[in-house]
Amino acid sequence: MSEANGLRQPKRATADLFLKLGVVPVPDGEKAAAAIGHLDEFRTKVRSFVMAMESCVKCGACAENCHTYLGTRDPNNIPAGRADLIRKVYKRHFTVQGKLFPGLVGAQDLDLETIEKWYSYYYQCSECRRCAHVCPFGIDTAEVTMIGRQILFWLGIGPQLHTATSGAILKTGNHMGLTQAGMVDTLDFLSEEIEEEYEGLKVTFPVDKPNSDVLYIPSSADFMLNANTLKGAAMFLQYVGANWTMSSRITEAGNFGYLMDQNRVMREMVTRLMEETTRLGCKKIVWGECGHGWRATKMYVPTMSDMPASRKIPMTHIHDEVEAYVKAGLLELDPKRNARKITLHDPCNYARACGHSDNMRVIMNAVVPKGAFTEMRPNREANFCCGGGSGILFDDKKMYEYRILASNKKAEQVRATNAEVLCAPCSICKAQLYPMVKEHKLPVEVVGLVDLVGNALVFRD
Amino acid sequence: MNVFIGQILPYVAVTVFLGGVTWRIWRWMIPQIVHNITLSPWPKSWSAAIVWILWQLATFWNLLKFDRPLWFGAWFMHIALFLMLVGHVLAFYTLGLQFHILVPGLITPELSLWLSFWFGTVLGLIFLLALLYLLGRRLVNEPVRAISSASDYVHLLLLIGIATLGNIMRIFPEYQVGYIPVREYLAGLFLFQPHPMPDSLLFLAKYTLVMVLMIIFPFSKLMHSFGFFWERWIINRPFHEPARGLPGAGVQLPK
Amino acid sequence: MPFVEVEGKQVEVDEDGFMVDPAAWFPGWAHYVAKSEGIGELTERHWHVIDFLKDYYAKTGIAPMIRKLCKESGIPLKEMYELFPTGPAKGACKCAGLPKPTGCV
Repeated sequence: MSEANGLRQPKRATADLFLKLGVVPVPDGEKAAAAIGHLDEFRTKVRSFVMAMESCVKCGACAENCHTYLGTRDPNNIPAGRADLIRKVYKRHFTVQGKLFPGLVGAQDLDLETIEKWYSYYYQCSECRRCAHVCPFGIDTAEVTMIGRQILFWLGIGPQLHTATSGAILKTGNHMGLTQAGMVDTLDFLSEEIEEEYEGLKVTFPVDKPNSDVLYIPSSADFMLNANTLKGAAMFLQYVGANWTMSSRITEAGNFGYLMDQNRVMREMVTRLMEETTRLGCKKIVWGECGHGWRATKMYVPTMSDMPASRKIPMTHIHDEVEAYVKAGLLELDPKRNARKITLHDPCNYARACGHSDNMRVIMNAVVPKGAFTEMRPNREANFCCGGGSGILFDDKKMYEYRILASNKKAEQVRATNAEVLCAPCSICKAQLYPMVKEHKLPVEVVGLVDLVGNALVFRD
Repeated sequence: MNVFIGQILPYVAVTVFLGGVTWRIWRWMIPQIVHNITLSPWPKSWSAAIVWILWQLATFWNLLKFDRPLWFGAWFMHIALFLMLVGHVLAFYTLGLQFHILVPGLITPELSLWLSFWFGTVLGLIFLLALLYLLGRRLVNEPVRAISSASDYVHLLLLIGIATLGNIMRIFPEYQVGYIPVREYLAGLFLFQPHPMPDSLLFLAKYTLVMVLMIIFPFSKLMHSFGFFWERWIINRPFHEPARGLPGAGVQLPK
Repeated sequence: MPFVEVEGKQVEVDEDGFMVDPAAWFPGWAHYVAKSEGIGELTERHWHVIDFLKDYYAKTGIAPMIRKLCKESGIPLKEMYELFPTGPAKGACKCAGLPKPTGCV
């Protein structure tokens, strides 16, 4: 069953790929029973899941506030409706009313068809949490999506993209399969670029440098697509004279484990992070531009790292550090270098999960001229997702079309600002917005935020 | 029949209601809050979190901000329901003299009765209208209808039934029951000294519906009244940021 | 993993039709991909890109940054997209037998 009932589903990974992640795919006949077993376990372990299952009143406030529903008008893409794909089964098995009056309360047995729906809709949800922000109870539907994806993973169902990326994580500690040789070669190239672009400025990109004080974690996508983000971060760190390094064992700000398997795969990244800070002697971890990965780190590592307090190392985001230096007046910046009209897309995980709405604006206002920055509406924690959140960057035809639909709202917001530059400081947002601006014919260039910092920094000897 | 509804069912309803709610909450307490999944911007402290949660509760802030048409129905319905519940307790206990007892110098017993009557009437009508509005919305609004199941309508119809019967008894003098017979009956229940129910078919019907509501309450989405607190306790909690500044850097932030 | 037959050889590919083992690459593979990806006949310019990618991958184990590919192969990005309509990361890498990029791309 690759595409059930014309459902929109991403291309799925083969059993081989799952076996490499230590998952033996469950045969079709046993899937439903296995899934119920997992649900039963989650309901005794994860309160956010139980409350999402048991508190919804179906008021529908989430519907018009979800970009996936706005883009598709599919009732299963209403956050409450999407959670209902699991809630129906949950009611049937774990509630009195669902056991006694399934028809009345909308409870259902689990069958393969529903599991196919899970696969379809839990990979259309981008875990952006705008529904949690909007819900009168604060029901976090992303928690349901995460558990849906986790169960699918254990059943051996998952998109090729997420599964292959998880495979790359276990092998290399990054999403793209970067090797140390590849990193060094790319970084040398970027050093040369900086030298050409900034009048002979010499910026070095240390890799695996022992006795470094700061470990900088870049997004691996920066090595392929977002060169300026990598350059901006290095220029800032060099400017303030940091003793920093990157690690070839964890060259990844993202964590696709968090988006698919919040156990084995997610933990691999956490473990590598802890090991590398110890190995390289770092006293602080500074994170690169990546939304979901930063949330997975900032909010999850404290409860996931299994480290004694003595080995807990402070973690901040590069935006936090730049903001602090800007506020202290320690950076000489020339905003004229970023003179084009610009707008800011608040990545969901920064705005709704990590508390970054302010720091991005402090930086933005310091690196562009007065009047160049226009807010899109709504913004900050009420912002809409780019449509690619949680790594749903699929390129098979149907899913690609879906990505563009899911970004309708975003395109509308961007167009209303008349900006020439769209700043989206998150690798997934960037990867989604590069094709999105093309498909929606938006005359904007997509950039990161640290890119602008690097470009505005005035180096003096 | 009257004995069953009047003298047995009330005890069943109260037991199921209290026991059921306790059981549901006990089950919510078993699973843990595994990670801090607070929504940002998060409250600075626990007291700020509690203030925010109460603010959400009192104003239905999210609905006011993100779904104004729903807010109109939901907020008025809930506020009327809440005030009427309080009103029922006070009015039956004091026989309509609650306002006089609260502010004796200013409000005469007659005025209190008058206030009690009008508060009840107006709130009852607001409650009914809001419920009808919510029912209409559920039927007409495309996405809301799509996610509704039969029980969502049943709850509304049950409340509409209770509200309608209550309003009839309130507005039409010939159907009024009066505080005294009800209080005598309820006192009998509380003291385990059975006293006959007021002799009114409307009262019997409304009273039965209320008990049905109490019995299904713990096994339905009506538990959202408690779920609100448990959910927001997860989603609105403080987080403490690590200090800024790069150790070992040439340019250091001022202390 | 599925197999496809190209010029009488069995080639193991992933779900997206990318070669699983870049070492098994042979010129016929590039022609085969060019046809299925709508690239058509491979010109000298195409081969220039393909050869660059193969060499780079052999040296570093990764696909080059797009900017570097353009700069060092001397083929501007615009032409790159004309040569490989599905983009250098997907179309060109597929021809060159590189694995499909994963992660946020």
